[in-house]
Amino acid sequence: MITLVYVTIAIAFLVLVLVFFTRAKSKDPDQGVTRNDQAPHFGDASWLSLSECIFDPSDARWLRNELSFPELALSLTRARKQLAIQWLKALQVSFNTLVRTTALSPHQNPGANSLESWRLLWLTVRFQFFLSYALMIVKLFGPYHRLIPSFTWIPFLKEGESPQRRSLLASSGDLD
Amino acid sequence: MRLLGLAISCCVLLMDGLLIWRGVRSRCVRLFPLFFAYILYDFSSTGGAYLVYWVQPSWHASVYWFCYVLSIVVEFAILVEISDHIFQPFPAIRNLGRSLTILIAVALGLTYILPALLSSRGMRPALLDFALRASLTKAVILAALIYAARHFGVRLGRNVAGLMLGFSIYLGVNIANFACVERFGDLYASILWVIAPIAYTLCLLVWTGALWEYAPMPGTRAALPAAGGDSEALVLELARFNNALSRFLHK
Repeated sequence: MITLVYVTIAIAFLVLVLVFFTRAKSKDPDQGVTRNDQAPHFGDASWLSLSECIFDPSDARWLRNELSFPELALSLTRARKQLAIQWLKALQVSFNTLVRTTALSPHQNPGANSLESWRLLWLTVRFQFFLSYALMIVKLFGPYHRLIPSFTWIPFLKEGESPQRRSLLASSGDLD
Repeated sequence: MRLLGLAISCCVLLMDGLLIWRGVRSRCVRLFPLFFAYILYDFSSTGGAYLVYWVQPSWHASVYWFCYVLSIVVEFAILVEISDHIFQPFPAIRNLGRSLTILIAVALGLTYILPALLSSRGMRPALLDFALRASLTKAVILAALIYAARHFGVRLGRNVAGLMLGFSIYLGVNIANFACVERFGDLYASILWVIAPIAYTLCLLVWTGALWEYAPMPGTRAALPAAGGDSEALVLELARFNNALSRFLHK
């Protein structure tokens, strides 16, 4: 049985490698990426305000609670979910394009293992981690779900907790 | 069978020699120092084992197995070389390849290879287990590097792609081969033993073709115009992306 598992792994590995090299040969990384797939520069305020609209639940609430159109609210939430996923993917495409920025010359990197390189890698990995997390949450729970879990379910936080301590706990989870 | 073994060894020696000669001619030796150090080691260990075989045949088995176990460890140098070259032109992820390689090697070494070595009974099963698990660890590292390259849309140059393809063929065959040793012991001793050396010869053939001459990484994006390729500006841009995402996460 274990032999079969290893042989399957070996075949799967070889297939993966062959697929990767066949696709890599035929496809340019930026091929098929339109301007709409990329996030505009961060100076573009309208693009950032678009995200405010996408992730703002007030429209859906208004439709459901005040106009009593729960189905329409649900439909809006679904559409916003797709938009949110597209927004996050556009952010990822732009980030990956930035990551593929090369040094001016390959010999211009004497400090390849310098602190700066590690700092850049940290920023890259951190972004990829949080973006994957955000994408997962939006795909699973929709665009209006809290991305940082609430700690109100912890009993000692519910009662007798000073506002200062709460804000301290909130800031300890600060990602910046 | 003995003649076949000798012929394969001769092929390996020839290919190693050809690779070193081409590496020196095309100046790839300076660009891929770890890889050529491994090829030099392979050339000298195969040649040395040959020499021992003719001069002192009783020592041959010990020398062969010592060189073999050492080569399993030394093969990790090829992975380090590959991982360095995939992301080298990109300052933001220059250390990603080596970090992945070291992290996976250490993690799997401690949790997957070492316990099997400590619990195995006898030299032969320990050696087989070590070879199998080390091959699988290398395959996992290669798969992770392939995933990372694909995720960031990195296009590989002919040299690095050839190194990866050749090594993948060798590792894939090795995993299946070592897994079959225990199951088809007698058949392996008589017929199947030839698979691993043939896979290695094929791998050397791919490497020779890939490193025949130096080929730079294709389609790399130009340096940031505003930044003039300055890494500090790149840090600033990456930090901006991180801040935008953090702000969004805090909602």
